[in-house]
Amino acid sequence: MFGTLSYNKQKMIIIITFLTIPLLLLATFTYYPALKLIYYSFTNWDGYSPEKPWVGLDNYREVFGNPDIFKVFTHNFAYFVMGILQNIVAIYFAVVLSSKLRGKNAFRIMLFLPYIMNGVAVAFMFGYVFDTTNGSLNLFLNSIGLTGLGQTSWLGTEGLVNYSLASTGFWRFMGYNMVIYIASLQAIPKDIYEAAKIDGAGSFQTLWRITLPNMKPVIQLNLFLTVTGALEVFDLPFVLTKGGPAGASETYVQKVVDTAFAFNNYGLASAMSIILLFFVVIVLVVQQLVLSRGGDK
Amino acid sequence: MRNKLFSLSFVIIMILSLSLTGCGSNNTNNNAATATDEPAATAAPANTGGDAAATTEPAAPSGADISGKITFLTNRTDMIGKEYDEYVKRFNEKYPNIKVEFEASQTDYNQQAKVRMASGELPDVMFIPTIPNSDLPKYFASLDDLGLTDQITFKDFKSYEGQLYGITTGNSTTGIVYNKKAFADAGITEIPKTWDEFLAACDKLKAAGVVPLASNFKDKWPLNDWVYSVPRIIDGDPNFPNEKLTSDTPFTMDNGYGKSLSLLRELNEKGYLEKDINSTNWEQSKKDIASGKFAMYYLGNWVINQVIGAGTTSDNVGFFPLPYDNSGTITAPLSPDFFYAVAKNSKNVDAAKAFVKWMIEDSGYEDFAGFISPLKGKESNLTQLKEFQATGVVLQEGTVDDAQVTEITNKAQLDLPAMAQEFVLAKDPQTVFDKWNKAWAKAKKDLGY
Repeated sequence: MFGTLSYNKQKMIIIITFLTIPLLLLATFTYYPALKLIYYSFTNWDGYSPEKPWVGLDNYREVFGNPDIFKVFTHNFAYFVMGILQNIVAIYFAVVLSSKLRGKNAFRIMLFLPYIMNGVAVAFMFGYVFDTTNGSLNLFLNSIGLTGLGQTSWLGTEGLVNYSLASTGFWRFMGYNMVIYIASLQAIPKDIYEAAKIDGAGSFQTLWRITLPNMKPVIQLNLFLTVTGALEVFDLPFVLTKGGPAGASETYVQKVVDTAFAFNNYGLASAMSIILLFFVVIVLVVQQLVLSRGGDK
Repeated sequence: MRNKLFSLSFVIIMILSLSLTGCGSNNTNNNAATATDEPAATAAPANTGGDAAATTEPAAPSGADISGKITFLTNRTDMIGKEYDEYVKRFNEKYPNIKVEFEASQTDYNQQAKVRMASGELPDVMFIPTIPNSDLPKYFASLDDLGLTDQITFKDFKSYEGQLYGITTGNSTTGIVYNKKAFADAGITEIPKTWDEFLAACDKLKAAGVVPLASNFKDKWPLNDWVYSVPRIIDGDPNFPNEKLTSDTPFTMDNGYGKSLSLLRELNEKGYLEKDINSTNWEQSKKDIASGKFAMYYLGNWVINQVIGAGTTSDNVGFFPLPYDNSGTITAPLSPDFFYAVAKNSKNVDAAKAFVKWMIEDSGYEDFAGFISPLKGKESNLTQLKEFQATGVVLQEGTVDDAQVTEITNKAQLDLPAMAQEFVLAKDPQTVFDKWNKAWAKAKKDLGY
């Protein structure tokens, strides 16, 4: 029946029908909830009542009037530090595993595997690793003779807990970053390296002058993922510490979830989510400005 | 990015469903309208069932007068076709003309009951879901004519304007669940009756290389009793939690909260809790209590069966009330489970009421489920609860949470167990109270109470 239509019309019909379902899914599960979220942020809905009283900007005023809410962002600093470190290590492994190395695919898989695992499962697993009295980490430290260090309460010391948690994120996401870097490394034309070699460039010079500049857009992408990941971290502290000890590892998203589900204040929680969204956008813009000062693209 | 969002929402769903169905011990005190600290009947696994064969009374002459068919919507699907059949057999000896049918609640009982309420098709006998007490007369028949009103516990819990609409199916209490062998090995011959004796016992246990009290501090919910029950029994006032409403400084060192949390703090400072309270493991702790590596829990009686299930025998597990001071007289908190109710529009109200009365007085359900009897002063047939009651403890019934107090608590984002954690870990506990008093006063003012 389509035989009578022109080629262009057929193409249009196929494109439209193929796009309908994904766009519909996207609209239902991403844009519609997002719009609802914005709407809720102007109400003080409790999460179950049929009425949703409109309160205007009250929720936003309350968030900005309470500096305690933003103090938890200091906890995210640890995730940020670990994230930067994670990218550096990922680049290192990407460069090493792109060179001629025996069994490099096995190493790649080993490093990438943690990313496939479910976040909650990883968190539970690390609960056993970090346990003070029976944890494998402390048992290991004790067995190699570091008995002083082997008494550390990894998840119970105020200054340390966020770094312990962030190191779990490091373990899990480093492989993912590495795979992205490997992909971008393979896209760099080999003749540039050959030319550099002929000109007598050392391996450090090739890395600094050729590899890194060519990977710049990808590094930017990974940094963006790292920064937003650091701002939005939730599952690790939620499962491992419940924000403890005494709120030292509480994160912003956890506060949002508590506000909504424990304290029945969906309106305020929605406003907090919207504010987080703006934070991410601001950080992204700043990062874009700083990194693209070189002005190549 | 979308991947992250997806995994985040997945995690949230996982966690939510986990916390709903999980180990049966998580609870959400902040949004629950009742003062129940312990999970509803979900926790107590089968114990013997043989206990249920209590006294079988000869058929009362009046029983035959009532007839009809009634349906009972129950959450104890595990008992259908087993214990319930046996109950009906004994019930019919007294009331031969009443036919009882059981309907299994397949999903969340609370939700299912509410849907049935909305459609107006209630079973004759059911449990009361979480609805405001003012709605009770719309759906349920008054139970005052059963003649139980003065004998039952929690008679005001599901009452409205002086009429009784619900009777508790069984009650729970909180106390020290302990490993008897660990106590004997440490040289403790008598259960402690004062706080000093309790500390001395802890000291002996510690000297024997046993962790005296497993607090499960990190998991937060095991601290619930320290903030929801102990303050009201120390203060000797069942309504203590609701009196926060009249105060701008509900947390002081010399009221129930301060005293209760100071006990916990003292236990931690003396090293009577786990070595590192910020790194505890609930599942493992049950095994450790069973094996005697840890000696005690301060939790509800629902945990007794779980400890036995973790690898010890019933006669190795003891239960006594927490001696929170040196007076020698001890009070323990009492909290209700589900409440029986009879539907107002039932065709056989009398038959349904007769069944409820029989369930409370004669069924022996409370022993099967591991509860304390809903009738005042009735002795339990369960070893641990018998021991507990034999200490001469006074059981203090809780009261319904005041809706306004809940509202202020939510507004102030006050999570009492979390406050308990802060209190124990803080260098100066007074600063923790100051902080939350300030938040409380502000929330109270903002809400205009």
